[in-house]
Amino acid sequence: MRLAPSALLGLLEAGVAWDLVFIFDRAWIGGLAFAFGVNLVLLAVGHVLHWRWARWLGLVLLGTTYVVAHVFVLGVQLLPALAVVALLMGYVEVRILSERFAPLFLASITPAHRGQFGRALLRAWTRLAAALIVAVVVPLFAADLAVAGVVPLTTIPTALLLSAGLVAVVVLIALLPTLDAKASEGREPFPRARNSPKSPP
Amino acid sequence: MRTPLSSGLAAASVGLLLLGLVLRSWQVVLLALPPTIVLALGSLAPPPRPRLVAMRSLARERVDAGRDVEVELVIRNEGPPLDLLEVADVLPRDLAVVRGTNHALVALESGGTLVLSYVVQSAVKGDFVIGPVRARSLDPLGLGVQDAVLEVRSSLVVAPAMEDLRRVQLLPRRTRPWFGQAPSRQIGVGTEFWGMREYAPGDEVRRINWKASARFDRLFTNEYEGERSGDVVLVVDARRESFVGTPVDNPVEHAVRAALGIADRVLAARNRVGLIVQRQVIDWVPLAFGRKQLYRILDHLLHVQPGGEWPLSHVGFVLSRFFPRDCGVVLITSLLDRDVLEAVIRLAARGHAVTIVAPSALEIERRQRTDSREDRMAYQILAMERANVVRQLRRVATVVDWDPATPLALALRRMTARPSRA
Repeated sequence: MRLAPSALLGLLEAGVAWDLVFIFDRAWIGGLAFAFGVNLVLLAVGHVLHWRWARWLGLVLLGTTYVVAHVFVLGVQLLPALAVVALLMGYVEVRILSERFAPLFLASITPAHRGQFGRALLRAWTRLAAALIVAVVVPLFAADLAVAGVVPLTTIPTALLLSAGLVAVVVLIALLPTLDAKASEGREPFPRARNSPKSPP
Repeated sequence: MRTPLSSGLAAASVGLLLLGLVLRSWQVVLLALPPTIVLALGSLAPPPRPRLVAMRSLARERVDAGRDVEVELVIRNEGPPLDLLEVADVLPRDLAVVRGTNHALVALESGGTLVLSYVVQSAVKGDFVIGPVRARSLDPLGLGVQDAVLEVRSSLVVAPAMEDLRRVQLLPRRTRPWFGQAPSRQIGVGTEFWGMREYAPGDEVRRINWKASARFDRLFTNEYEGERSGDVVLVVDARRESFVGTPVDNPVEHAVRAALGIADRVLAARNRVGLIVQRQVIDWVPLAFGRKQLYRILDHLLHVQPGGEWPLSHVGFVLSRFFPRDCGVVLITSLLDRDVLEAVIRLAARGHAVTIVAPSALEIERRQRTDSREDRMAYQILAMERANVVRQLRRVATVVDWDPATPLALALRRMTARPSRA
């Protein structure tokens, strides 16, 4: 479990490095190689010194290197590009799960606890895998529809519709905590007295 | 509450969308969809606010340092099902989990129960509070969290390990007029033979010395040395400069251990014991007898932490105001400054019989450093300075130079004291 994030990251780094090998334009390769090198340094520093911002910045640089290399030089191939984006998200999610779960299994715990933690981990893995599969399949399906001519993709209204949909999702996510807090104001407050040590379990 | 991951995904999707629109590339626009889809899936099942009830039980509430204590935390979910619940029982820094875990990450159904059992241990003394319990509900994709704090707190008192001084004779130099175990150099009730005198009406028959009576042809009665009790005040020097070493191995911790051992021994011999602690403030426990007094002193010593920079001579003020003039004083100090010399001379001048127990900070520091040539040289210089201070102190007090790596009983055997008359 502790190795999974590193393995995923290694896969991503190798993939991006492999793509850079095929760039022969000196003007691009210099900048992209520099960004890739900085990403490696930042990830290494973040790993050693536990600097969260360095890890984030390194990851952003890795994604940027990939996107710039493919958008401006190599050309975007949809399936590998979607896979890379999904892997990037998967890496962050797996890292979060690893940081939370791995210390639990390292402690000397009872088999019952081990079983409980294992079940929770399995659920988290399953949901993450499902989310990532949907995140790859849906854009592919959309692309298929567009290529088949069902959706006129290159028109301005389609672009506006996509943008509006995206903005709606982002706004919904931004407002959710506020809406949730307002909804919980009307509920019965958390029964503080029952948390006292004298109360039954 | 949103996590940084959700903000990062939103930023990535907006960035890719704008890039795609600017470059008029439908492939890039499609790349904006995966983060958006993950965000949308995450927002479908936001984490509910945890409504939990917790109860903690400890196998023991008072324990010696270095001993295990079993803790059991029972948490019941009284709210909606929690897909991913992280629970942590907050422990003080000095408590270490030696078995089990105080941290869990589980799925908890409505009405479900989580039992966390673990064993903690503390190497240092203290009055610790375990708790509160922190709970965090996460959504399956880690995009949002809801926190809750359960105010369940339990107290755990960790007493310092006590020095075994059963074979050491610690007697107050001056005795008081009530019965005890210290020879008083006065005729009275006791077990040590003192002398003989002619029989007087009213003398107990069992005290008649029959051999002497037969020899002199008249009755003689044995007299015994009276055994009485005295007053001892323990002074613990816990000033900041006494702190050398680690939280477990430092002169203040050893001074506390020594004070507790001496108090136990002196109280067991039916003497009155008091305590003065010089730290950030000067506080004291008045003289008293018995087991309860030992617990009073223990409770006081639990809270001793190095601090404060008062000169040690301030102890003299407390002694003169709140303790009898002729009580014995056991000063436990690491002798790290010459201020001690002046304070002890003043105490002796006031009539106190002063005994100094000096846990050696020098030996503690020596064990923790590498054995280089410079260190050996520095050690020799500091050892000479310390020996010089000890020599000067021995003119006015009994000094027990103690390497805390050895038992205190061994060092105290050198201290011989003959009681004097009250």
